[in-house]
Amino acid sequence: MGKKILLADDDPDVAEVVSMLLEDEGYEVVTAKDGAETLEKIKLENPDLIILDLLMPHVDGFAVFNMLRDPRYERWSKIPVIILTSVRQEVGNRRYELETGRRMNYSAYLEKPPDHDELLETVSSLIEAED
Amino acid sequence: MRHKIIDEIAHSVVAVGGADNVIRALVESTARGTEAKGCSLSTLKDADTKLVHRISCGISEGYLREGQILTDDALGRVLGGSPLIVWEVAADHRLIRKEELQREGITSIVFLPFRDQHKVRGIMCLFFSERRKFDREELEFLDSIAELGGIILDRAETEERLEKEAEEARRELARIKDERRHFLGFLSMVTHDLKSPLVAVQGYLKMLLRKSADRLDERMVKGIHRSIQRIDGMMELISSLLELSRLESGQVLLELKTVSWEEVLGAAVETAHELAAPKGIVVATEIRRPLPEVFASDIRLQQVILNLVSNSVRFTPRGGRITIRARCENDTVTVSVEDEGTGIEPDKLPHVFEEFYKGDPESPEGTGLGLSICKRIVDMHRGGIWAESPVRETGRGTRFTFSIPVGVTCRLEDRWMLEENKVKPSSIASGQSGETK
Repeated sequence: MGKKILLADDDPDVAEVVSMLLEDEGYEVVTAKDGAETLEKIKLENPDLIILDLLMPHVDGFAVFNMLRDPRYERWSKIPVIILTSVRQEVGNRRYELETGRRMNYSAYLEKPPDHDELLETVSSLIEAED
Repeated sequence: MRHKIIDEIAHSVVAVGGADNVIRALVESTARGTEAKGCSLSTLKDADTKLVHRISCGISEGYLREGQILTDDALGRVLGGSPLIVWEVAADHRLIRKEELQREGITSIVFLPFRDQHKVRGIMCLFFSERRKFDREELEFLDSIAELGGIILDRAETEERLEKEAEEARRELARIKDERRHFLGFLSMVTHDLKSPLVAVQGYLKMLLRKSADRLDERMVKGIHRSIQRIDGMMELISSLLELSRLESGQVLLELKTVSWEEVLGAAVETAHELAAPKGIVVATEIRRPLPEVFASDIRLQQVILNLVSNSVRFTPRGGRITIRARCENDTVTVSVEDEGTGIEPDKLPHVFEEFYKGDPESPEGTGLGLSICKRIVDMHRGGIWAESPVRETGRGTRFTFSIPVGVTCRLEDRWMLEENKVKPSSIASGQSGETK
Protein backbone atom coordinates (compact mmCIF):
# COMPACT_ATOMS: atom_id res chain seq x y z
CA MET A 1 0.00 0.00 0.00
CA GLY A 2 1.25 3.48 -0.90
CA LYS A 3 2.52 5.71 1.85
CA LYS A 4 0.45 8.76 2.69
CA ILE A 5 1.94 12.23 2.35
CA LEU A 6 0.28 15.38 3.68
CA LEU A 7 1.14 18.33 1.44
CA ALA A 8 0.50 21.77 2.94
CA ASP A 9 0.75 24.66 0.49
CA ASP A 10 -1.55 27.61 -0.10
CA ASP A 11 -0.56 27.86 -3.78
CA PRO A 12 -2.91 25.47 -5.62
CA ASP A 13 -0.54 25.15 -8.57
CA VAL A 14 2.46 24.26 -6.46
CA ALA A 15 0.24 21.74 -4.66
CA GLU A 16 -0.94 20.32 -7.99
CA VAL A 17 2.58 19.95 -9.41
CA VAL A 18 3.98 18.33 -6.27
CA SER A 19 0.91 16.06 -5.97
CA MET A 20 1.34 14.95 -9.58
CA LEU A 21 5.01 14.25 -8.97
CA LEU A 22 4.36 12.21 -5.82
CA GLU A 23 1.30 10.36 -7.13
CA ASP A 24 3.26 9.26 -10.19
CA GLU A 25 5.64 7.59 -7.76
CA GLY A 26 2.75 5.74 -6.13
CA TYR A 27 2.32 7.87 -3.01
CA GLU A 28 -1.09 8.83 -1.69
CA VAL A 29 -1.26 12.61 -1.39
CA VAL A 30 -3.56 14.59 0.89
CA THR A 31 -3.46 18.38 0.60
CA ALA A 32 -4.12 21.27 2.98
CA LYS A 33 -4.24 24.91 1.98
CA ASP A 34 -3.49 26.57 5.32
CA GLY A 35 -2.09 25.83 8.74
CA ALA A 36 -5.40 25.12 10.44
CA GLU A 37 -6.37 22.59 7.78
CA THR A 38 -2.91 21.04 8.05
CA LEU A 39 -3.30 20.43 11.78
CA GLU A 40 -6.78 18.98 11.23
CA LYS A 41 -5.57 16.64 8.49
CA ILE A 42 -2.61 15.47 10.56
CA LYS A 43 -5.05 14.11 13.16
CA LEU A 44 -7.53 12.86 10.60
CA GLU A 45 -5.23 11.30 8.03
CA ASN A 46 -2.26 10.20 10.12
CA PRO A 47 0.24 10.78 7.28
CA ASP A 48 3.63 9.07 6.97
CA LEU A 49 5.30 12.32 5.94
CA ILE A 50 4.46 16.02 5.90
CA ILE A 51 5.60 18.50 3.27
CA LEU A 52 5.10 21.92 4.80
CA ASP A 53 5.12 25.38 3.25
CA LEU A 54 6.06 28.10 5.74
CA LEU A 55 4.17 31.11 4.41
CA MET A 56 0.48 30.29 4.52
CA PRO A 57 -2.53 32.43 5.47
CA HIS A 58 -3.98 32.44 9.02
CA VAL A 59 -1.93 29.78 10.77
CA ASP A 60 1.44 29.62 9.02
CA GLY A 61 3.90 26.77 8.68
CA PHE A 62 6.04 28.02 11.58
CA ALA A 63 3.03 27.73 13.89
CA VAL A 64 2.15 24.28 12.53
CA PHE A 65 5.70 23.12 13.12
CA ASN A 66 5.64 24.51 16.63
CA MET A 67 2.27 22.89 17.35
CA LEU A 68 3.69 19.47 16.39
CA ARG A 69 5.99 19.86 19.41
CA ASP A 70 2.96 20.40 21.66
CA PRO A 71 1.90 17.47 23.94
CA ARG A 72 -1.51 17.43 22.23
CA TYR A 73 0.23 16.36 19.05
CA GLU A 74 2.61 13.92 20.68
CA ARG A 75 1.23 11.02 18.64
CA TRP A 76 2.25 12.79 15.45
CA SER A 77 5.46 14.41 16.63
CA LYS A 78 7.64 11.73 15.06
CA ILE A 79 6.28 12.20 11.54
CA PRO A 80 9.15 13.47 9.36
CA VAL A 81 8.61 17.01 8.05
CA ILE A 82 10.07 18.40 4.83
CA ILE A 83 9.93 22.19 4.72
CA LEU A 84 9.23 23.30 1.14
CA THR A 85 9.20 27.07 0.99
CA SER A 86 10.43 30.20 -0.71
CA VAL A 87 11.88 31.37 2.61
CA ARG A 88 15.66 31.02 2.62
CA GLN A 89 16.80 28.34 5.02
CA GLU A 90 18.85 30.59 7.32
CA VAL A 91 16.04 33.14 7.46
CA GLY A 92 13.50 30.45 8.28
CA ASN A 93 15.72 28.99 10.98
CA ARG A 94 16.42 32.38 12.51
CA ARG A 95 12.79 33.42 12.57
CA TYR A 96 11.67 30.16 14.18
CA GLU A 97 14.39 30.41 16.80
CA LEU A 98 13.52 34.02 17.59
CA GLU A 99 9.84 33.24 17.93
CA THR A 100 10.03 29.99 19.88
CA GLY A 101 13.52 29.94 21.37
CA ARG A 102 13.98 26.47 19.87
CA ARG A 103 15.77 25.03 16.88
CA MET A 104 13.62 24.00 13.97
CA ASN A 105 14.49 20.32 13.75
CA TYR A 106 12.87 19.42 10.45
CA SER A 107 13.93 16.35 8.47
CA ALA A 108 14.79 18.36 5.36
CA TYR A 109 14.56 21.92 4.10
CA LEU A 110 14.01 22.56 0.39
CA GLU A 111 13.78 26.02 -1.11
CA LYS A 112 11.36 26.75 -3.93
CA PRO A 113 11.56 26.13 -6.78
CA PRO A 114 12.40 22.55 -5.86
CA ASP A 115 14.40 20.24 -8.04
CA HIS A 116 11.93 17.45 -8.70
CA ASP A 117 14.47 14.64 -8.48
CA GLU A 118 15.87 16.03 -5.25
CA LEU A 119 12.37 16.30 -3.78
CA LEU A 120 11.55 12.69 -4.71
CA GLU A 121 14.85 11.42 -3.35
CA THR A 122 14.33 13.27 -0.07
CA VAL A 123 10.79 11.89 0.25
CA SER A 124 11.76 8.30 -0.49
CA SER A 125 14.80 8.30 1.79
CA LEU A 126 12.73 9.64 4.70
CA ILE A 127 9.90 7.20 4.14
CA GLU A 128 12.30 4.26 3.84
CA ALA A 129 14.09 5.34 7.01
CA GLU A 130 10.77 5.12 8.82
CA ASP A 131 10.18 1.46 7.92
CA MET B 1 23.98 92.67 40.43
CA ARG B 2 20.33 92.21 41.39
CA HIS B 3 19.58 90.67 37.96
CA LYS B 4 22.59 88.42 38.13
CA ILE B 5 21.67 87.06 41.55
CA ILE B 6 18.05 86.55 40.61
CA ASP B 7 19.06 84.79 37.43
CA GLU B 8 21.44 82.53 39.33
CA ILE B 9 18.78 81.61 41.88
CA ALA B 10 16.20 80.96 39.17
CA HIS B 11 18.63 78.72 37.34
CA SER B 12 19.63 76.55 40.27
CA VAL B 13 16.21 76.41 41.89
CA VAL B 14 14.47 75.31 38.68
CA ALA B 15 17.09 72.66 38.09
CA VAL B 16 16.38 71.12 41.47
CA GLY B 17 12.65 71.58 41.90
CA GLY B 18 11.03 71.73 38.51
CA ALA B 19 9.46 74.99 37.37
CA ASP B 20 5.86 74.37 38.43
CA ASN B 21 6.86 73.34 41.95
CA VAL B 22 9.13 76.34 42.27
CA ILE B 23 6.44 78.79 41.19
CA ARG B 24 3.95 77.25 43.60
CA ALA B 25 6.49 77.48 46.43
CA LEU B 26 7.22 81.08 45.44
CA VAL B 27 3.54 82.08 45.57
CA GLU B 28 2.89 80.27 48.85
CA SER B 29 6.00 81.49 50.64
CA THR B 30 5.45 85.07 49.46
CA ALA B 31 1.93 84.92 50.91
CA ARG B 32 3.22 83.52 54.21
CA GLY B 33 6.17 85.89 54.40
CA THR B 34 4.01 88.97 53.88
CA GLU B 35 1.22 87.59 56.07
CA ALA B 36 -1.14 88.04 53.15
CA LYS B 37 -4.52 86.30 53.00
CA GLY B 38 -3.61 84.93 49.61
CA CYS B 39 -1.44 85.28 46.58
CA SER B 40 -2.13 84.60 42.93
CA LEU B 41 -0.23 84.52 39.73
CA SER B 42 -1.68 85.14 36.30
CA THR B 43 0.26 85.10 33.08
CA LEU B 44 -0.09 86.51 29.59
CA LYS B 45 -0.97 84.09 26.81
CA ASP B 46 -1.65 84.12 23.09
CA ALA B 47 0.89 86.76 22.07
CA ASP B 48 0.19 88.72 25.26
CA THR B 49 -3.47 89.35 24.42
CA LYS B 50 -4.92 87.29 27.26
CA LEU B 51 -4.20 87.21 30.94
CA VAL B 52 -5.01 83.84 32.51
CA HIS B 53 -4.89 82.55 36.06
CA ARG B 54 -2.02 80.14 36.66
CA ILE B 55 -1.54 79.41 40.33
CA SER B 56 -2.78 80.73 43.67
CA CYS B 57 -3.23 80.15 47.37
CA GLY B 58 -5.69 81.47 49.96
CA ILE B 59 -8.24 82.68 47.38
CA SER B 60 -11.55 80.93 46.72
CA GLU B 61 -12.13 79.25 43.39
CA GLY B 62 -15.26 81.34 43.00
CA TYR B 63 -13.20 84.46 42.70
CA LEU B 64 -10.46 83.06 40.50
CA ARG B 65 -12.63 81.52 37.78
CA GLU B 66 -11.32 79.83 34.67
CA GLY B 67 -10.15 81.44 31.47
CA GLN B 68 -9.35 85.00 30.58
CA ILE B 69 -9.12 87.72 33.21
CA LEU B 70 -10.70 91.00 32.23
CA THR B 71 -8.07 93.66 32.32
CA ASP B 72 -9.26 96.71 34.20
CA ASP B 73 -7.35 99.95 34.61
CA ALA B 74 -5.46 98.58 37.61
CA LEU B 75 -4.23 95.47 35.81
CA GLY B 76 -3.48 97.48 32.69
CA ARG B 77 -1.15 99.68 34.64
CA VAL B 78 0.68 96.72 36.16
CA LEU B 79 1.08 95.09 32.76
CA GLY B 80 2.71 98.33 31.75
CA GLY B 81 5.49 97.49 34.21
CA SER B 82 4.66 99.43 37.40
CA PRO B 83 3.69 97.92 40.70
CA LEU B 84 0.37 99.07 42.09
CA ILE B 85 -0.99 99.16 45.59
CA VAL B 86 -4.67 99.38 46.30
CA TRP B 87 -5.11 100.42 49.93
CA GLU B 88 -8.84 100.29 50.02
CA VAL B 89 -10.59 98.01 47.56
CA ALA B 90 -13.98 99.52 48.30
CA ALA B 91 -12.85 103.01 47.44
CA ASP B 92 -10.81 102.31 44.31
CA HIS B 93 -12.55 103.08 41.04
CA ARG B 94 -9.89 101.29 38.95
CA LEU B 95 -11.13 97.84 40.00
CA ILE B 96 -14.04 96.26 38.12
CA ARG B 97 -14.67 93.32 40.47
CA LYS B 98 -14.86 95.31 43.64
CA GLU B 99 -17.92 93.49 45.07
CA GLU B 100 -16.38 90.09 44.57
CA LEU B 101 -13.16 91.21 46.26
CA GLN B 102 -15.11 92.50 49.22
CA ARG B 103 -17.04 89.24 49.44
CA GLU B 104 -13.68 87.47 49.61
CA GLY B 105 -12.85 89.69 52.58
CA ILE B 106 -10.07 91.53 50.81
CA THR B 107 -9.20 95.05 51.81
CA SER B 108 -5.79 95.79 50.25
CA ILE B 109 -4.07 94.37 47.15
CA VAL B 110 -0.51 94.65 45.91
CA PHE B 111 -0.11 94.08 42.18
CA LEU B 112 3.39 93.29 41.01
CA PRO B 113 4.48 92.97 37.39
CA PHE B 114 5.85 89.51 36.77
CA ARG B 115 8.67 89.99 34.31
CA ASP B 116 11.73 88.27 32.98
CA GLN B 117 14.76 90.01 31.47
CA HIS B 118 12.77 91.06 28.42
CA LYS B 119 9.20 91.95 29.25
CA VAL B 120 6.23 91.73 31.57
CA ARG B 121 4.85 88.20 31.47
CA GLY B 122 2.07 88.43 33.99
CA ILE B 123 0.94 89.72 37.35
CA MET B 124 1.50 88.57 40.89
CA CYS B 125 -1.19 89.70 43.31
CA LEU B 126 -0.96 89.76 47.07
CA PHE B 127 -4.34 89.97 48.84
CA PHE B 128 -4.71 91.30 52.39
CA SER B 129 -7.78 91.18 54.57
CA GLU B 130 -6.79 94.30 56.51
CA ARG B 131 -5.40 97.61 55.30
CA ARG B 132 -1.76 97.12 54.69
CA LYS B 133 0.97 99.69 54.06
CA PHE B 134 4.29 99.03 52.37
CA ASP B 135 7.38 101.17 52.40
CA ARG B 136 9.57 101.58 49.33
CA GLU B 137 12.12 98.98 50.44
CA GLU B 138 9.50 96.31 51.04
CA LEU B 139 7.94 97.03 47.71
CA GLU B 140 11.25 96.78 45.93
CA PHE B 141 11.93 93.48 47.58
CA LEU B 142 8.56 92.11 46.51
CA ASP B 143 9.27 93.40 43.04
CA SER B 144 12.48 91.34 43.01
CA ILE B 145 10.57 88.24 44.09
CA ALA B 146 8.12 88.80 41.24
CA GLU B 147 11.00 89.20 38.85
CA LEU B 148 12.47 85.92 40.10
CA GLY B 149 9.14 84.32 39.34
CA GLY B 150 9.15 85.80 35.85
CA ILE B 151 12.54 84.35 35.09
CA ILE B 152 11.52 80.97 36.44
CA LEU B 153 8.48 81.07 34.22
CA ASP B 154 10.66 81.91 31.24
CA ARG B 155 12.89 78.94 32.00
CA ALA B 156 9.92 76.67 32.48
CA GLU B 157 8.57 77.60 29.10
CA THR B 158 11.94 77.13 27.43
CA GLU B 159 12.22 73.73 29.04
CA GLU B 160 8.73 72.81 27.96
CA ARG B 161 9.53 73.85 24.41
CA LEU B 162 12.77 71.86 24.37
CA GLU B 163 11.04 68.83 25.82
CA LYS B 164 8.32 69.14 23.19
CA GLU B 165 10.93 69.36 20.45
CA ALA B 166 12.77 66.35 21.85
CA GLU B 167 9.49 64.46 22.00
CA GLU B 168 8.77 65.35 18.38
CA ALA B 169 12.25 64.17 17.37
CA ARG B 170 11.70 60.89 19.21
CA ARG B 171 8.35 60.40 17.50
CA GLU B 172 9.91 61.14 14.12
CA LEU B 173 12.67 58.61 14.76
CA ALA B 174 10.13 56.00 15.79
CA ARG B 175 8.13 56.76 12.66
CA ILE B 176 11.20 56.33 10.42
CA LYS B 177 12.08 53.06 12.13
CA ASP B 178 8.52 51.91 11.74
CA GLU B 179 8.48 52.85 8.08
CA ARG B 180 11.73 51.01 7.54
CA ARG B 181 10.34 47.94 9.18
CA HIS B 182 7.22 48.13 7.07
CA PHE B 183 9.33 48.60 3.98
CA LEU B 184 11.39 45.51 4.72
CA GLY B 185 8.20 43.57 5.33
CA PHE B 186 6.80 44.92 2.09
CA LEU B 187 9.93 43.85 0.20
CA SER B 188 9.61 40.33 1.55
CA MET B 189 6.00 40.22 0.48
CA VAL B 190 6.84 41.49 -2.98
CA THR B 191 9.59 38.90 -3.42
CA HIS B 192 7.22 36.18 -2.38
CA ASP B 193 4.36 37.36 -4.56
CA LEU B 194 6.50 37.96 -7.64
CA LYS B 195 8.17 34.60 -7.41
CA SER B 196 5.17 32.45 -6.49
CA PRO B 197 3.60 32.44 -9.98
CA LEU B 198 7.00 31.71 -11.51
CA VAL B 199 7.50 28.75 -9.18
CA ALA B 200 4.06 27.44 -10.19
CA VAL B 201 4.60 27.88 -13.95
CA GLN B 202 8.05 26.37 -13.80
CA GLY B 203 6.68 23.45 -11.80
CA TYR B 204 4.21 22.60 -14.58
CA LEU B 205 6.91 22.93 -17.24
CA LYS B 206 9.17 20.56 -15.33
CA MET B 207 6.26 18.13 -14.99
CA LEU B 208 5.54 18.42 -18.69
CA LEU B 209 9.12 17.45 -19.50
CA ARG B 210 9.07 14.66 -16.97
CA LYS B 211 5.83 13.08 -18.15
CA SER B 212 5.66 13.88 -21.83
CA ALA B 213 9.14 14.57 -23.16
CA ASP B 214 9.00 11.43 -25.31
CA ARG B 215 5.82 12.64 -27.01
CA LEU B 216 7.26 16.06 -27.95
CA ASP B 217 9.66 16.78 -30.78
CA GLU B 218 13.21 17.78 -30.02
CA ARG B 219 12.74 21.50 -30.67
CA MET B 220 9.76 21.64 -28.34
CA VAL B 221 11.71 19.89 -25.57
CA LYS B 222 14.55 22.35 -26.05
CA GLY B 223 12.05 25.21 -25.89
CA ILE B 224 10.64 24.00 -22.61
CA HIS B 225 14.16 23.63 -21.22
CA ARG B 226 14.83 27.22 -22.28
CA SER B 227 11.58 28.37 -20.64
CA ILE B 228 12.63 26.79 -17.37
CA GLN B 229 16.01 28.54 -17.63
CA ARG B 230 14.40 31.88 -18.44
CA ILE B 231 12.15 31.57 -15.41
CA ASP B 232 15.23 30.80 -13.28
CA GLY B 233 16.83 33.95 -14.68
CA MET B 234 13.78 36.01 -13.84
CA MET B 235 13.63 34.68 -10.29
CA GLU B 236 17.29 35.48 -9.92
CA LEU B 237 16.67 39.01 -11.15
CA ILE B 238 13.81 39.51 -8.69
CA SER B 239 16.02 38.22 -5.88
CA SER B 240 18.87 40.52 -6.86
CA LEU B 241 16.67 43.60 -7.18
CA LEU B 242 15.13 42.98 -3.82
CA GLU B 243 18.51 42.19 -2.41
CA LEU B 244 19.70 45.61 -3.50
CA SER B 245 16.65 47.29 -1.98
CA ARG B 246 17.24 45.40 1.23
CA LEU B 247 20.84 46.51 1.36
CA GLU B 248 19.71 50.09 0.62
CA SER B 249 17.18 50.03 3.41
CA GLY B 250 19.71 48.91 5.98
CA GLN B 251 18.75 45.27 6.40
CA VAL B 252 22.42 44.35 6.60
CA LEU B 253 22.74 46.38 9.80
CA LEU B 254 20.25 44.08 11.46
CA GLU B 255 22.62 41.20 10.93
CA LEU B 256 25.80 42.71 12.33
CA LYS B 257 27.54 40.70 15.01
CA THR B 258 31.00 39.45 15.87
CA VAL B 259 31.89 36.95 13.18
CA SER B 260 34.95 34.86 12.59
CA TRP B 261 36.58 35.35 9.22
CA GLU B 262 37.77 31.75 9.33
CA GLU B 263 34.19 30.52 9.67
CA VAL B 264 33.00 32.86 6.92
CA LEU B 265 35.66 31.54 4.57
CA GLY B 266 35.10 27.93 5.61
CA ALA B 267 31.40 28.12 4.77
CA ALA B 268 32.02 30.06 1.56
CA VAL B 269 34.67 27.64 0.31
CA GLU B 270 32.38 24.68 0.98
CA THR B 271 29.61 26.24 -1.11
CA ALA B 272 32.15 27.31 -3.75
CA HIS B 273 33.05 23.63 -4.30
CA GLU B 274 29.36 22.88 -4.84
CA LEU B 275 29.05 25.71 -7.36
CA ALA B 276 32.17 24.73 -9.29
CA ALA B 277 31.87 20.93 -9.27
CA PRO B 278 29.08 20.59 -11.88
CA LYS B 279 31.30 22.42 -14.40
CA GLY B 280 34.34 20.34 -13.55
CA ILE B 281 36.11 23.36 -12.09
CA VAL B 282 38.55 22.95 -9.23
CA VAL B 283 38.47 25.35 -6.28
CA ALA B 284 41.87 25.90 -4.69
CA THR B 285 42.41 27.89 -1.50
CA GLU B 286 45.35 29.79 -0.05
CA ILE B 287 44.11 31.00 3.31
CA ARG B 288 46.75 32.41 5.61
CA ARG B 289 45.61 31.72 9.17
CA PRO B 290 44.96 32.96 11.73
CA LEU B 291 42.26 35.37 10.59
CA PRO B 292 40.66 37.79 13.05
CA GLU B 293 37.09 38.29 14.14
CA VAL B 294 35.19 41.23 12.76
CA PHE B 295 31.98 43.10 13.52
CA ALA B 296 30.06 42.34 10.37
CA SER B 297 27.32 40.34 8.73
CA ASP B 298 28.55 36.79 8.15
CA ILE B 299 25.78 36.07 5.64
CA ARG B 300 26.73 39.11 3.56
CA LEU B 301 30.47 38.44 3.64
CA GLN B 302 29.84 34.91 2.42
CA GLN B 303 27.53 36.33 -0.20
CA VAL B 304 30.30 38.58 -1.53
CA ILE B 305 32.70 35.63 -1.87
CA LEU B 306 30.06 33.38 -3.44
CA ASN B 307 28.90 36.05 -5.90
CA LEU B 308 32.52 36.39 -7.01
CA VAL B 309 32.93 32.62 -7.24
CA SER B 310 29.77 32.08 -9.28
CA ASN B 311 30.83 34.92 -11.54
CA SER B 312 34.17 33.16 -12.07
CA VAL B 313 32.46 29.81 -12.61
CA ARG B 314 30.45 31.34 -15.43
CA PHE B 315 33.54 32.51 -17.29
CA THR B 316 35.93 29.67 -16.57
CA PRO B 317 36.13 26.79 -19.05
CA ARG B 318 35.47 23.20 -17.95
CA GLY B 319 38.46 21.75 -16.12
CA GLY B 320 39.70 25.21 -15.09
CA ARG B 321 40.67 26.38 -11.65
CA ILE B 322 39.41 29.08 -9.28
CA THR B 323 41.63 30.20 -6.42
CA ILE B 324 40.31 31.78 -3.24
CA ARG B 325 42.94 33.61 -1.20
CA ALA B 326 42.66 35.32 2.17
CA ARG B 327 45.06 37.01 4.53
CA CYS B 328 45.15 39.65 7.23
CA GLU B 329 47.65 42.49 7.14
CA ASN B 330 47.69 45.87 8.87
CA ASP B 331 44.31 45.22 10.50
CA THR B 332 42.70 44.62 7.15
CA VAL B 333 41.42 41.31 5.81
CA THR B 334 41.89 40.88 2.08
CA VAL B 335 40.08 38.18 0.13
CA SER B 336 40.51 37.49 -3.57
CA VAL B 337 38.86 35.20 -6.08
CA GLU B 338 40.93 34.47 -9.16
CA ASP B 339 39.94 32.53 -12.26
CA GLU B 340 41.53 31.30 -15.46
CA GLY B 341 38.64 32.49 -17.57
CA THR B 342 38.36 34.63 -20.65
CA GLY B 343 39.10 37.80 -18.73
CA ILE B 344 37.38 41.18 -19.00
CA GLU B 345 38.10 43.54 -21.88
CA PRO B 346 39.93 46.70 -20.76
CA ASP B 347 37.10 49.03 -21.85
CA LYS B 348 34.60 47.01 -19.84
CA LEU B 349 36.65 46.69 -16.68
CA PRO B 350 35.74 50.10 -15.17
CA HIS B 351 32.02 49.32 -15.46
CA VAL B 352 31.77 45.87 -13.91
CA PHE B 353 30.47 47.13 -10.55
CA GLU B 354 27.71 49.20 -12.14
CA GLU B 355 24.13 48.05 -11.73
CA PHE B 356 22.72 46.00 -14.61
CA TYR B 357 26.10 46.02 -16.38
CA LYS B 358 26.69 42.82 -18.28
CA GLY B 359 29.92 42.23 -20.18
CA ASP B 360 27.94 40.33 -22.79
CA PRO B 361 24.44 41.79 -22.96
CA GLU B 362 23.31 38.85 -25.13
CA SER B 363 24.23 36.30 -22.47
CA PRO B 364 21.18 34.65 -20.95
CA GLU B 365 23.09 34.08 -17.75
CA GLY B 366 23.45 36.56 -14.93
CA THR B 367 21.45 39.65 -14.05
CA GLY B 368 24.18 42.27 -14.08
CA LEU B 369 23.53 42.91 -10.40
CA GLY B 370 25.80 40.45 -8.63
CA LEU B 371 28.92 42.57 -8.60
CA SER B 372 27.05 45.74 -7.66
CA ILE B 373 25.58 43.84 -4.72
CA CYS B 374 29.14 42.83 -3.77
CA LYS B 375 30.26 46.44 -3.94
CA ARG B 376 27.31 47.59 -1.84
CA ILE B 377 28.05 45.02 0.87
CA VAL B 378 31.77 45.80 0.92
CA ASP B 379 31.00 49.55 1.12
CA MET B 380 28.75 48.93 4.09
CA HIS B 381 31.63 47.22 5.83
CA ARG B 382 33.84 50.23 5.07
CA GLY B 383 35.98 48.22 2.71
CA GLY B 384 37.00 48.36 -0.94
CA ILE B 385 36.62 46.04 -3.91
CA TRP B 386 38.43 46.02 -7.24
CA ALA B 387 38.99 43.90 -10.32
CA GLU B 388 42.14 43.02 -12.25
CA SER B 389 42.15 41.52 -15.72
CA PRO B 390 44.30 39.93 -16.92
CA VAL B 391 45.84 38.82 -13.63
CA ARG B 392 49.32 40.35 -13.36
CA GLU B 393 51.18 37.19 -12.37
CA THR B 394 49.63 34.85 -14.94
CA GLY B 395 48.73 37.20 -17.76
CA ARG B 396 45.22 35.75 -18.08
CA GLY B 397 41.89 35.39 -16.29
CA THR B 398 40.38 37.82 -13.79
CA ARG B 399 40.97 38.50 -10.13
CA PHE B 400 38.46 40.22 -7.86
CA THR B 401 39.83 41.42 -4.54
CA PHE B 402 38.08 43.01 -1.59
CA SER B 403 39.46 44.17 1.71
CA ILE B 404 37.61 44.96 4.92
CA PRO B 405 39.13 46.62 7.97
CA VAL B 406 39.10 44.83 11.31
CA GLY B 407 37.22 46.47 14.18
CA VAL B 408 33.79 48.04 14.37
CA THR B 409 32.98 48.50 10.76
CA CYS B 410 29.36 49.45 10.54
CA ARG B 411 28.81 53.01 9.42
CA LEU B 412 28.49 55.48 12.24
CA GLU B 413 25.49 57.28 10.82
CA ASP B 414 23.58 54.03 10.72
CA ARG B 415 24.55 53.00 14.21
CA TRP B 416 21.20 53.83 15.78
CA MET B 417 19.61 51.16 13.68
CA LEU B 418 21.41 48.50 15.62
CA GLU B 419 18.73 48.88 18.24
CA GLU B 420 16.42 47.20 15.81
CA ASN B 421 18.23 43.98 16.51
CA LYS B 422 15.79 43.54 19.32
CA VAL B 423 12.86 43.68 16.97
CA LYS B 424 11.43 40.52 15.55
CA PRO B 425 12.53 40.42 11.94
CA SER B 426 9.65 40.94 9.59
CA SER B 427 11.90 39.78 6.82
CA ILE B 428 10.60 36.52 5.61
CA ALA B 429 13.00 36.78 2.77
CA SER B 430 12.41 34.40 -0.01
CA GLY B 431 15.13 32.73 -1.98
CA GLN B 432 18.10 34.98 -2.49
CA SER B 433 20.58 32.74 -4.13
CA GLY B 434 24.09 33.99 -4.01
CA GLU B 435 24.36 32.96 -7.60
CA THR B 436 23.82 36.27 -9.25
CA LYS B 437 26.39 37.38 -11.72
